[in-house]
Amino acid sequence: MKNNQHISYNTIAAFLNTQSNKGSKFFGYAGLCTGMVLLLTAAQMFININHLIKEKNTRKDGFDFISVTKTVTNENMMKDNRFSENDIKELKQQKFIDDAAPLISNQFRVKASAGNIIPFSTDLFLEAIQSDFIDTVPPDFNWKPGDINVPIVFSADYLEMYNVFAPSQDLPQMSESTISSLTIILECHGPGGIESFRGNIVAVTNRISSVLVPQNFLEWANKRYGNAENIPAARVYLKTKDANSTELLNFIDARQYHLNKDKTKFGRIKQVLEGVITALAGFAVVVIILAMLLFSFYLQLIIERSRQNLVLLLTLGYSPGWLTKTLAKKWTPIYVTIMLIATIVTSLFQLYFVHKMNNRAELSHTLHPAVFALGLLILFLSILINYRMIKKMLYKL
Amino acid sequence: METVLNNVVPVYLEEEKILSSEVWNHHIKIDKYVHIIAPSGRGKSSLMQFMYGLRKEYTGEVIFDNQQIHKKSAEEIADLRGNRLSIVFQDLRLFPDHTAYENITVKRSLQPYNEDQINQMAERLGISNKLKQHIRNCSYGEQQRVAIIRALQQPFELLILDEPFSHLDENNSKLAMQLILEEATVRNAAIILLDLEKVPFYPADSMYHL
Repeated sequence: MKNNQHISYNTIAAFLNTQSNKGSKFFGYAGLCTGMVLLLTAAQMFININHLIKEKNTRKDGFDFISVTKTVTNENMMKDNRFSENDIKELKQQKFIDDAAPLISNQFRVKASAGNIIPFSTDLFLEAIQSDFIDTVPPDFNWKPGDINVPIVFSADYLEMYNVFAPSQDLPQMSESTISSLTIILECHGPGGIESFRGNIVAVTNRISSVLVPQNFLEWANKRYGNAENIPAARVYLKTKDANSTELLNFIDARQYHLNKDKTKFGRIKQVLEGVITALAGFAVVVIILAMLLFSFYLQLIIERSRQNLVLLLTLGYSPGWLTKTLAKKWTPIYVTIMLIATIVTSLFQLYFVHKMNNRAELSHTLHPAVFALGLLILFLSILINYRMIKKMLYKL
Repeated sequence: METVLNNVVPVYLEEEKILSSEVWNHHIKIDKYVHIIAPSGRGKSSLMQFMYGLRKEYTGEVIFDNQQIHKKSAEEIADLRGNRLSIVFQDLRLFPDHTAYENITVKRSLQPYNEDQINQMAERLGISNKLKQHIRNCSYGEQQRVAIIRALQQPFELLILDEPFSHLDENNSKLAMQLILEEATVRNAAIILLDLEKVPFYPADSMYHL
């Protein structure tokens, strides 16, 4: 029912005593404004930090790839510290991990020699991973049973290491392009004797420190020479949108996994900063709640002082719903003003912060839309709480 | 609007007062001019408050349009008081810190009936020079007339009058009664007049002793 829709607040304004207690009113407003500035600033800082601490390297299609191992300690070193299928399934289920792939290794002996050009022979380890985890996968990185040629993706770190030691061993130094012309003889030792394959380095990768061969080759070879199938992996690669995500680090810490430190060092700093900012936001929420409480006392006082008149207005036939709405509306412009002031002050803080950070490109001079959204949400909540308080008090008269 | 009192009994009233009453615990239909005569202590104001939806401490039913008033929502009661039910309280219930005129217009702006006749009505009841005066500075008789004029600003189908002339002399009472009857006729409304004694100039269709 829509009673009294046509009546304006002015009709009853004279019958309400709103002139009282300016002090508590002012402190309520000031408190609300301060709390809002703190909360909005905390939210904006949260976003700033996330913009500042984002790694730009080792990305493929906007993803980070990081390796995880289980931490080996004195207590667990006698146990199997490899990843079971369930471990990997659990990793894949996390929303901050887009994919997880085990790095499988050879379960048989491999000996590599460079043939006649370089007098070089060594025991080698081979590893394999899903192709989409390798950043530099050439089209010919595949193998089928019967092929004698096996493509290899070689770690740039190993190449660098080789080039450091090569001169002292009277070996030639090699560039990324010369290494690909090299044929490595891979001797696979199995129960049925030794078989040789011709390994060609088809690409160099910065992402995975290993000697990578196609996954189906390694699975086939493990079965044939090592008599092994579905071997658990010691190392798992994670594909994630953000290697510095606090959620990811918290999860990894909880599982006592070990992460490639370099790629997540900013994440550690972020973890601490986010903790501090969260505490600030919590404090802001407390300030806002206190301000609303003070404000509710002020409202109660006004309604109490106008109690007799309000009761009489209701007796005369004024609709309690209309009275509630009309009274609540009176405060809406005040709340809107408070929110505007808080937004402006937060914007100024942001400008100052960006200026102090030498106007770094990652930072925006304006507030993030989410901060505005948060401001609007609090505005909406304040108006709603105010309305509910008035309604509760009026219906109690 | 059909108004019915159906076996209404205040929960706090003594047994013998209920037994000797023609109203309590009876079925009464209020469709024209009803006069209820009630000596002190018979629950006159209680009856008025039950009918206006201010109190609920009774058994039985007060029915407007086939609906019990205490089952109506706050909004429905507000609508009833604004559009269909008007009242002159025994204790008047005016805003003491506002002028007579403000007291009348705050009611009038709720649901105005006809064009503004406040001045003419005040003229007829002899309080036109009191309209700009604060209520607390008016005599009780003047306040009573303000309350009567206020009650006539809205549309109504039933007008409840609770000792409306207690502080008026006979001449002023008759003037007020005449104005009330005119306004009731225009609206084709029923009246229930409650008083300590019979009001001789009230053309009651039916009369009950409370």
